[in-house]
Amino acid sequence: MSNEAKTIARGLQRRDPDLLDRLIEQYQFRLYRYLLYVTGNKERAEDFFQETWIRVLERGHQYDGKSKFEAWLFAIARHLVIDWQRSRKPQSLDTLTDPEQDHPLQLANEKQPSPLHQVLSQESEENVQTSLQKIPAIYREVLVLRFQEELQIEEMAGVLSVPISTVKSRLYRGLEALRGELQRGAAT
Amino acid sequence: MSANIHDRALQLIARAPVEGLPEADSAWLRAHLEECDFCSDHARHTDRALRLLRTAAIPFPDGLASRTQFRVRLRAQELREHEPRGRLLWFACAASWIFGIASAPYVWRLFAWFGEVTGMPKLVWEIGFALWWTIPALFAAAVLLLENARQTEEPDWLKQDG
Repeated sequence: MSNEAKTIARGLQRRDPDLLDRLIEQYQFRLYRYLLYVTGNKERAEDFFQETWIRVLERGHQYDGKSKFEAWLFAIARHLVIDWQRSRKPQSLDTLTDPEQDHPLQLANEKQPSPLHQVLSQESEENVQTSLQKIPAIYREVLVLRFQEELQIEEMAGVLSVPISTVKSRLYRGLEALRGELQRGAAT
Repeated sequence: MSANIHDRALQLIARAPVEGLPEADSAWLRAHLEECDFCSDHARHTDRALRLLRTAAIPFPDGLASRTQFRVRLRAQELREHEPRGRLLWFACAASWIFGIASAPYVWRLFAWFGEVTGMPKLVWEIGFALWWTIPALFAAAVLLLENARQTEEPDWLKQDG
């Protein structure tokens, strides 16, 4: 357990508001980016962003500092999104997280221009944003966790509550889907 | 060149960024990419996808962090205010149970005497005694359930659409 993780765990036990302020600032971009990619919606990502930190405050005593704080943080955010989605669609958690399903974790309406696309397009120089919003959120999620947040496969398995082999297969498929979309985008 | 060789190359291209490659596989792939345009193209596109993914910029909403910090501080204050109440409740329950256990033999006799005086069936006053004993626990459970229900009440953002 690293010193940083120990300090965070102790601070969360005490519900130290200064520590929480610092954590919010430190992880704001990463958490928001993750939520934006997972929900596909700017407003929703903002709501979940706030709710995630409230949950961190309330459940902080459960963080033991044995894993990276960001992995625990993403796991909390992810569970909030899944709980919310479950409350909208009475399905099982497996259905929602199974990559073979039609629209796993796909919250945005695909027939309309995605809010994710609108947000991303503002700063887009390439068509990666367009391509990203075309692939299922379950793949976007692993791509973000691995290649933007740079989590290890084992840490991702913890965040997603799936076996390592599932993480790998989602990464292969996600990368392949993104590559395919980018190639199609370049061809048009 | 056989299809198996291309398949192997494509598998290694996919594996490389996900879990890395052993040196032997990496050397084999480099050699193959030098002489195969199709796989080389595939590798280039995969690299490009990764590069773009790593550099994708997302604007962060103004004031979101400070709004969140404010909300978290408010909630922390709320939780701190509830802590003494919770402790008091547990203390009251503990004191009540200790007193209940200590006084149980006397209360039992009291219920027995009352049953005898009123001619009540034994089962009735025994149930009365059991109820008397469990009332503090039931009361505490009800208070805790109400408190939990209030705390886990659906937040506004959850009700906004549906």
